[in-house]
Amino acid sequence: MTDAISNALTSLRESAAERQSAHNGKTRVVVQVGHCSQAVGVADVADAVSAALPHDAYLVTAGCDGACFASPKISVTLPDGQFIEKWCMTADLAEKGFIYIGQADKSEAIQSDPSEFFNKQHRLTLAGCGEMDALGIGDYILNGGYGGLARALSMTPEEVIEDVQASGLRGRGGAYFPAALKWRGARAIENTPRYIVVNCEEGEPGIFPVRHLMEGAPHRLLEGTVIAAYASGVHEAYIYINAEAHLSTERMRIAVEQAYASGLLGDDILSSGFSLDVEILRGAGGYVCGDETTMLNTMEGQRREPRQRPPFPTEAGLWGKPTVINNGETLASVPYILANGCDAFAAIGTDDDKGTKLVSLSGAVRHAGLIEVPMGTTLREIIYDMGGGTPDGRDLTAIAVGGPSSGIFPLSMLDAAIRSGFIHESGVMLGAGGVIALDDSVSVVDMMRKLAAYNADESCGKCTPCREGTPRMVELVDGLIAGRASASDLNDLRQLAELVNAASLCGLGQAAGNPVLSALHFFGDELAMMVKEG
Amino acid sequence: MNRERNELRATLRQKFPRNRGQLLPALHYLQHEFGYLPDWAMEVVGWHLGIPSSEVYGAATSYTELRIQKPGEHVIRVCTGLSCWLNGGRQLIQKAHAEMGANGEAGDVTLEEVPCAYICGVAPAVEVDGVWRGRVGADDFSGIMREVSP
Repeated sequence: MTDAISNALTSLRESAAERQSAHNGKTRVVVQVGHCSQAVGVADVADAVSAALPHDAYLVTAGCDGACFASPKISVTLPDGQFIEKWCMTADLAEKGFIYIGQADKSEAIQSDPSEFFNKQHRLTLAGCGEMDALGIGDYILNGGYGGLARALSMTPEEVIEDVQASGLRGRGGAYFPAALKWRGARAIENTPRYIVVNCEEGEPGIFPVRHLMEGAPHRLLEGTVIAAYASGVHEAYIYINAEAHLSTERMRIAVEQAYASGLLGDDILSSGFSLDVEILRGAGGYVCGDETTMLNTMEGQRREPRQRPPFPTEAGLWGKPTVINNGETLASVPYILANGCDAFAAIGTDDDKGTKLVSLSGAVRHAGLIEVPMGTTLREIIYDMGGGTPDGRDLTAIAVGGPSSGIFPLSMLDAAIRSGFIHESGVMLGAGGVIALDDSVSVVDMMRKLAAYNADESCGKCTPCREGTPRMVELVDGLIAGRASASDLNDLRQLAELVNAASLCGLGQAAGNPVLSALHFFGDELAMMVKEG
Repeated sequence: MNRERNELRATLRQKFPRNRGQLLPALHYLQHEFGYLPDWAMEVVGWHLGIPSSEVYGAATSYTELRIQKPGEHVIRVCTGLSCWLNGGRQLIQKAHAEMGANGEAGDVTLEEVPCAYICGVAPAVEVDGVWRGRVGADDFSGIMREVSP
């Protein structure tokens, strides 16, 4: 590390430590404020905690740690190091001064021991989420933050690209394209300005990792963005956040302001000579907006429709200039790689898939929330270990993996491991990492219809196979439900699903047949029984 | 109406540089100001940014979060995502439809279904006038309906 960069980082750390020292000897009370906990009353809890706070304590607003089932959650660290956690906190309890009393108050809503929820995780991108101050830069810096950036800036961009390539990091948005190749691709095109767009347009049902990162560790995402920009030869970055994520946007805006004020954005970042400006943009809803070329269209004031590829965005993206588009989760993995070395990252996961993945776990499980696990973790571990199994009186019947672009697994696939690309060739993939445990309150055919109807609703209408094919699939499924379908209809359904997948323009259409195909593969007998006799 | 148009023009001139990339931010601004996108306001945006009205309308109607019709005084959105569905959301939707029918929409309430609220960990979720609530039970939901259509 060059002296100038090293000195700049040291002075940031010193000033953060000095600010923190004002709290020495005081009790630290952390309230986890996220979009989920806001929906279950954390604002009242935070007010009550704040009012009940003794003079020798200070209050920290963090993001959520991913344990949605336990929110609103607060934690207390006493000056002697004693740590107390409170689950499912209420304003009433806080007013009565119960924030200090007793260990982990696990509310009746939580029927089993939730410690497994955390113990089996491997938290890199989520490290510190739920503990670090989400409204300040200090905690992140004191936990080693921006160290990865300092190391990157003292390497050449090509060295950074090689490091990240060697780590095996692939895009976490669902396509799993090697991140470093995009950077190299854009860098190679001599057409400036180049841009980087951080894809935080999270519009996929059942999936919420990037929102959690923005709420709980906004500076990690920002640090990854600066590193990627440096490697790609970019000086203008856009963080594109979906319309629904108001709190994420607020936290990212604060983080960007702080980064500018700390010399981590703008001109001459960490005295390295590199400069980068960041702007935050908002989407306006729609699954297809997560497609990278659709996102470019919305940024240019066009309809939300994908573009023909090639040219790929790295050649001609935003306003026709080379544009790197990385998912927010991907970029949040980058600081760890730079700070700890590519080998440390590559040591996690499997031979083919390196690192960790954020998995959004919900449905019929005790511990719904966001978890971070090594690639190669099985669905059984996710649902039974971290998820704590199904609530009392409910039986697991199937698993929806990867959202509406993917499919449904029967219980015989519980030992399948998460990986990039297809987990099963019938059309089940990890995608952006959703796992929904299903019970017998829904049938497979209902599930199939729900996912197919979603794809039909969200089709933007640009290309014919998707626009016409997705509603026809829903009609055929409806016929099956109504008992009007013949055996040949089932065959038509399969062919239509294959055709939509093969002939559509963008990722939405190319995967729109997957719910149907996977259901036909795994539950074909069940569906065949619904066919009209004769 | 002319005064409204002129005022909006003046505001847009201050807030938004005249290039096409400002379309979505400008539409967000309209929705924030008016609660939806009135036709006349979309025309003014098109004029300001140099985009034909047809294209402004085309873009605006392609986004799920933008409204081109004025919503009721209260807006209730019920999540129909899988996790909500599995955890009682389906009953909430049935209940909502039943109650709305009884009220005949007289209470000026707009009821909508949304495919996901992304707070699946605290399902089922219902949004009331822009604020999401989680773990909404049948009784909570009746309470919400009473709040908005007394």
